[in-house]
Amino acid sequence: MTLPSTDLAVELFLTQPIDHLANLPWPFPDDLDAFRYTVNVEPARVPRRTRGGEWGRHLVDLGGAEYPAIMADRRRILDADPGRVQVRPGMALACWDLLLYYLRDLALTYPDLMELDEVGEHLHWRNHVLGTDQRFVLGDATTLPYDPLEFLAREVPDDLLLVVERDGRLCFDAGAVTFAAAWAVSFDVGMDIYEIHGPVPRLTGEGITARAEQFLKRLPADQVYRRVNWTLSASDSRTLDVSLEELPAWGRDIPALIRDGAVDATAWGRVQLRIELEHFVRLPMTGAVTFNIRTFMASLDELRAVPAWCEQLATIIEELPADLAEYKGFLDHRDDVVAFLRTADLHTANLPAASPSPHDRTD
Amino acid sequence: MSGHLHPGYRAGRRTLRIASRTALTEHITHFELVDPDGLPLRAYQPGSHLVVTAGGRRNAYSLVDDGVAPDAYRISVLRRGEGGGSDWLHDTLRPGDLVEVEGPRSMFAPAPDQRAVLLVAGGIGITPVLSHARARVRAGLPVELVYSYRPGRAAHLADVRALAARSGVRVHEAIGAARTVETLRERLADQPMGAHAYACGPLPLLATYERLAAEAGWPTARVHLERFTAPELEAGEPFTATVASTGQRLDVPAGVSLLDTLLAAGHDVRHQCRQGVCGECRLPVRATRLEHRDFVLTDDEKRAGDTMLPCVSRGDQIEVFL
Repeated sequence: MTLPSTDLAVELFLTQPIDHLANLPWPFPDDLDAFRYTVNVEPARVPRRTRGGEWGRHLVDLGGAEYPAIMADRRRILDADPGRVQVRPGMALACWDLLLYYLRDLALTYPDLMELDEVGEHLHWRNHVLGTDQRFVLGDATTLPYDPLEFLAREVPDDLLLVVERDGRLCFDAGAVTFAAAWAVSFDVGMDIYEIHGPVPRLTGEGITARAEQFLKRLPADQVYRRVNWTLSASDSRTLDVSLEELPAWGRDIPALIRDGAVDATAWGRVQLRIELEHFVRLPMTGAVTFNIRTFMASLDELRAVPAWCEQLATIIEELPADLAEYKGFLDHRDDVVAFLRTADLHTANLPAASPSPHDRTD
Repeated sequence: MSGHLHPGYRAGRRTLRIASRTALTEHITHFELVDPDGLPLRAYQPGSHLVVTAGGRRNAYSLVDDGVAPDAYRISVLRRGEGGGSDWLHDTLRPGDLVEVEGPRSMFAPAPDQRAVLLVAGGIGITPVLSHARARVRAGLPVELVYSYRPGRAAHLADVRALAARSGVRVHEAIGAARTVETLRERLADQPMGAHAYACGPLPLLATYERLAAEAGWPTARVHLERFTAPELEAGEPFTATVASTGQRLDVPAGVSLLDTLLAAGHDVRHQCRQGVCGECRLPVRATRLEHRDFVLTDDEKRAGDTMLPCVSRGDQIEVFL
């Protein structure tokens, strides 16, 4: 039974103001002015203050008032394309391992919104925001409406990836991915970490892939780690799903933006900074390691609220070697993006009305 | 710094309570350990062990259950009779006593994609093998088990026979060395493609198992075994470090990193991963001996001995240029 206090908590959660900078995991240290790939892993669940707000306090950032919309988008994609969930043979228990870990974590992180009751292997999950009320038995797939990985994917905004060690190599053997940035879970599943990162310039050649693999192989049982990655999105809208499966739907977005930008420079404000926050957890029943990805986006228009970010992003994008800019997909329009960011204050007339941040500002 | 919110994922050093002890044979005692506050226990991979502090020593004992949702940690301890940790456990621990543990840790895990499994146990080596067998049965997968023992010395024989009654489970009891060799040769020769084999037992049995597997044409990557040796605990030896600019002397205990020691002493050392992979905390040093445990420095840099990653690497009489 839903208690009135739960209704109130849900209402407060869903009426939070939306501010895409307030929870943005800004991917650069304040003094960084040149980006290269590194093994930039650090302990998770440590809150980070930024010029826009705060991020990283919890394993899962639900997305505030946008949570139901993000989840509706994910569920629509999962309904339309079952191939977004891939589970290789031998990975069933790892999926249960992942489900139990996340539901336990969510219930402790958001006790007013979510509950998990456990009696032995009998579990009762309630998500009062999305209205989920599900009893199930750990390991018994017939007690859930979806397989455990998909069930979890329908509750959290994070894309869920599991890697295991096979024949000495770390392999991506299960995943539920609806918000991939120009890759496809159905193509990459089963590959090892070297195959997956083959297209990334400099990564394997400079030994970074090998160090990342060593890190994940030795990931300690009692620690959770995280890493932040970034790019400019391949679409000029907040479309999270720019996967290869959906290429026909977003493939013309950037060419159209470039045409618009040639006429009116303010069009570049539609470019989206896309930031991926990855979490690494070693799961106990199987030793599988999560490589879960929560995607955040903010448009350059929104970024104008923090001029220091515009300046830093312009400097980093401008300096980025051509091979990295090409891999990230913005080599052809980076000069325009840099010019827009450098003159961001000139476009203030078009700035959307800023909503008050739920967090303290630190700038 | 704790990574997990839920108490069911703790793996660090902590105290458990002995819930019961049962004599399985004249020399083997079974202990059940539970959380003293009733908190859930961390699940574990089949073949995992628990590190138990036994009278000042830290010994590893295999857990015997499938590991999925443990209500207790169950270990079976053979009295070695050499005055070591196993003797201490037999002589000292009674129900209600508290004992310090760490883990579970996995060093004998099943391959994730195995199609068929042959398990081999000798004597007390049945403990991790029973865990593997129970996990296969829970998952509804077939399993074949060879249990070699001497009459009257077999632990968990009733458990093994109970498993044998389940569908998909084949058990071969081999009493004595000659019968064991014969059974192993026959069962190793009669496995489907893609099978993995796992063995735990005394060294002569393991040597025979490896030899017979090679004779039967098994690739070594599919022939797994666990020896009765303590796992590498990686705590390292204590050492001293000196801060070059001030002459400040710091003692770095076993199990504590130089990085944490420097941070605790108020030195602002940039760091990130704490795992020897990111390279952020790299420091210039001079030392009488360096033990590099990172994955960042090249072999040449390690040989040069003038820099180190204090988050994982250790040494002796280290002078840190801060």
